[in-house]
Amino acid sequence: MVSTAELAKAVEQGLAYLRSAEQVTEAELFAASNGNLLARLNYTSHIPCNGVEEPKSSESYGLGITAVFKTEAGITVGFGSEPSDLSLDGVKRALEKARRGAVADPEFSSLPRPTGERRRLRRYHDPKLMKIRDEELVEVGWRVLRGSLKTFLNSPRLMELAGAQDRIKELGLIVGGDVTIQQERIAIASTAMPEVQTDESTLIMAFITAMVEAKASKGSGCSAGTRLDQFTDAAGVEAAQNALAAIGGERIKGGKYTVIFGRQPVADFLNNLILPSLSLGNFYSDSSPFMGRLGKRVASSRLTLYDHGAQRGLMGSKGITCEGLPTGKTRLIQRGKLVGLLASYYEQQRILRDPRSIEKLGADPNEHGGAIVPRNGFRFWAGGGRQFGVQPGIASTNAIVQGGDQSLEELIGTVKDGLLVGRIWYTYPINGLRAGDFTCTVVGDSYIIKDGRIVAPLKPNTVRINDNILSILSNIIGVGKEVKGTLVWAADEVIYTPEIAVRNVRLDEIASFMEQL
Amino acid sequence: MLAQPMTIQIIDQIQPMIFDLATRYRKTLRGCRYADIRVQVDEGQAAAAENGGSKHSTRDYGFAIGIRALSGNGVVAPGYFGRSLGAADLDSMERVVKDGLRHAHHRALANAERKTSARAEFGPLADALGSTTLAPIDIYQDTVPAQFEIDPRTVPLDELVALTTETSKRTLALDPHVKYTFISAFTLLTRELFCSSEGANIDQTFALTQGTCFIVAHGTSGTQELYDYMGHQRGWEALTRGVHEESIRFPDFRTFCANLTKDAVSLCNARPLKATDREVVVVTDPHYNTLTAHEIVGHPTELDRALKLETSYAGRSWLFRNLHEHQLGQPIASPLVSAFSDPSLPGYGHYKYDHEGTPATRVTHIDRGIFTGFMNSRQTAAILGVPPNGSYKATDASLVPLIRMSNTVFGPGERDPGEIIREIPHGYYLVGHRTPSIAESRENFRITAMKVYEIKNGQIGELFCNGGIMADTKDYLMKVDAVGNDFRLYPIPNCGKGQPMQTKRLGNGGPTMRSRARLTGISK
Repeated sequence: MVSTAELAKAVEQGLAYLRSAEQVTEAELFAASNGNLLARLNYTSHIPCNGVEEPKSSESYGLGITAVFKTEAGITVGFGSEPSDLSLDGVKRALEKARRGAVADPEFSSLPRPTGERRRLRRYHDPKLMKIRDEELVEVGWRVLRGSLKTFLNSPRLMELAGAQDRIKELGLIVGGDVTIQQERIAIASTAMPEVQTDESTLIMAFITAMVEAKASKGSGCSAGTRLDQFTDAAGVEAAQNALAAIGGERIKGGKYTVIFGRQPVADFLNNLILPSLSLGNFYSDSSPFMGRLGKRVASSRLTLYDHGAQRGLMGSKGITCEGLPTGKTRLIQRGKLVGLLASYYEQQRILRDPRSIEKLGADPNEHGGAIVPRNGFRFWAGGGRQFGVQPGIASTNAIVQGGDQSLEELIGTVKDGLLVGRIWYTYPINGLRAGDFTCTVVGDSYIIKDGRIVAPLKPNTVRINDNILSILSNIIGVGKEVKGTLVWAADEVIYTPEIAVRNVRLDEIASFMEQL
Repeated sequence: MLAQPMTIQIIDQIQPMIFDLATRYRKTLRGCRYADIRVQVDEGQAAAAENGGSKHSTRDYGFAIGIRALSGNGVVAPGYFGRSLGAADLDSMERVVKDGLRHAHHRALANAERKTSARAEFGPLADALGSTTLAPIDIYQDTVPAQFEIDPRTVPLDELVALTTETSKRTLALDPHVKYTFISAFTLLTRELFCSSEGANIDQTFALTQGTCFIVAHGTSGTQELYDYMGHQRGWEALTRGVHEESIRFPDFRTFCANLTKDAVSLCNARPLKATDREVVVVTDPHYNTLTAHEIVGHPTELDRALKLETSYAGRSWLFRNLHEHQLGQPIASPLVSAFSDPSLPGYGHYKYDHEGTPATRVTHIDRGIFTGFMNSRQTAAILGVPPNGSYKATDASLVPLIRMSNTVFGPGERDPGEIIREIPHGYYLVGHRTPSIAESRENFRITAMKVYEIKNGQIGELFCNGGIMADTKDYLMKVDAVGNDFRLYPIPNCGKGQPMQTKRLGNGGPTMRSRARLTGISK
């Protein structure tokens, strides 16, 4: 990893060069160094395996330049980057790429300008995670796997099912998932914001799936934090415990049910359906199901959702955005009403000048500036951190559903005939984002509820949800009070949410042929 | 001093050094039983436009390495290292690669030590924790050139900007129902070097050109968001002239975008399809079956899924429960259905060697209804005791390869597609794939279509929007009662798998087919 001081020095020297470069009227220099270290697990008691399958890493560093040129043909804007070179030569090469690729974007107004907000978060990374050694990377993977294996080994239920300890392996025990460590360092400055800003963040997270495959039971466990010292085997233990609890799953008939969605399904809804629909860019392109609804009700009054990138201790927090602007709290849905959107500086400026902005948003953005503050311009790319080689897009940081007033037990107690769904899969907007229609299947961690209590596990992969996200949001009947962080595969943001109960969820029974295989 | 220009010719310069490090230097790492080094250099250009305005263009390079080591003093385990590089690294390339080899080796050694400890700690539960083995392959030294007419490096960047901007303007102006257009294009050359401690030395170059069109149109039935891609492993001519091969056919890019725009306009004024509780007769066209083949044939026949390596991410396979209970040799489809993966076919899934140097091989998955085999890697082939078939691919050299489809398709039949429709009293014709959602082990699917037409008395009738089908995989395949002779291949540019997720380009396809399934429609 390149140090923050080296990145800052490169940005300072580079900006000085850019100020005097020919035809350049505005410029921004972003330097980054990223490490993505990952111990991927694959344990199968009944098939030869490695346990820790892939201890691996992917690293990069470099700089990216956005420059505005005053040419004979008019104003053009371009972006260029150079990997593995923070010297003035690297700056020159990136600038030439920006010049060569510059286009006359009719909707470009300027590079980011200060929003008037102040940075709130500094020095929140873990130096130990920045320096993790090869052996430690391997060790954190095995630590989590051993947590699962110990749980399986000490399970009286597995002993009972297998008949003898040396036959437990015949039950088809599986542990998969990974421990991921993200190391991110950036520095940024521009002609409009010449003071070099730096940011440094670390993250360690585990997302584990365990199965007793012969009994078609699946459980999940996750843990996430910003400190290596606090990392334990908890995710492995939790996944194995949940897999054991799910043994003996039953099928249900299709129909409309009251469903308590656990944290992972809520996170999946947010990641695939709701947060994209709250992105200002999708309002520009007429693609959000919330078109024209700013200031209006879009969900049950029980739902409050916000993005908060500056809260210390939360996994997705950052000091500044990849546009050099302070992160902060953006209220998105307040007691069911759409009150704000995720924005980058470019999209904010573009919607302010869009002749169809009032039609698109449902309100004049010039009169509702607080709803589109650019706190979410990030250069995330392919799970690899804050990349110097891409231009900012809109991404959530920590998406937080505000807790309600009922415990999970109390929520279950309100359900006469329904389900507790703990994990869903392949949740896609099936007829385009704006239509709101989605589908997914229930793949584990789920239970059947009768008369206010859990009566049996729901067999994984036997139910498909076919519904509409606007209906789901309107039909919320309860929100749990315990908010916890959870992760979604390949997502950039971290979701903090309680369980959410929804009535009239449409389910279809699937894959009955599997019972005869 | 400015670093030298970064081009794919750099591979010529570093190839002897990389080969030497993989073969001779590897021997200096105590306990390292095997190592391979992958190097990738890309040279390409891209442009994008929105609503008639140019947004972005670039001409740039990519450069990356990925290293695998299998090491251990006794039990053997894997370790990996990946890094993006730049022109400035060229002067110190040997040091960079040596450093990466050491990291991969140290990780593998530490991994082997802990595997050994776990075997002692967990007794019979750890019996499956064995030594990592790669199935043997013939070792090749080869050079494979790219195929193109117009070299992607020679196209003026202004030409990409003009094509995308003008096409975006034209599609926006095509009809007042059109509210938004996004048009992008790229053309590039990728050169990949693979060297292994076994002596493999393979240098492959690919051309790739792709155009993307996304249209939003608003009409009487609401908003339609349609997108599609066209592309080929060819030069810039793929977009300017289109593709006119036996199994890959595209008009030029402007026409392709105009056609998609017209579809979006028709659909935003069409009635939404109503879902059914019962199965109906459905005829699916080759474009729709491209995604069906991808989801219900390709993914469940990847052996890493079958062996549970993707349990936490992309899912398992209903075709394989364990080494003793599986569907190999069993009927899983109608005798009319055959399916295979063939890297020798043209298109996005074409290659000669995979990313561990195994020659690419046609893999038959379904032979006249019988399930016959998986795509594999050397490691997974060793577990199953079968020969490697060259299906181990990464999206970038810095990432660890996964088992991936090449050109995975339903094989052609003998029927005239028009006749397949004409003999139906009542049914539905699904044209063009849109969005999939597949059950975890691929045992059930719901896939929406761009367009759904009602078929009445053998004639194509009313157009519906927002429709698709839902079915259990085996039931659907068993009920296929007609397969057309109109085989086509299409590009799939965005197949996600692995952790971190790798988004891969590959080919899929098939002919027109007829089966039975439940219709899906809008959910509000």
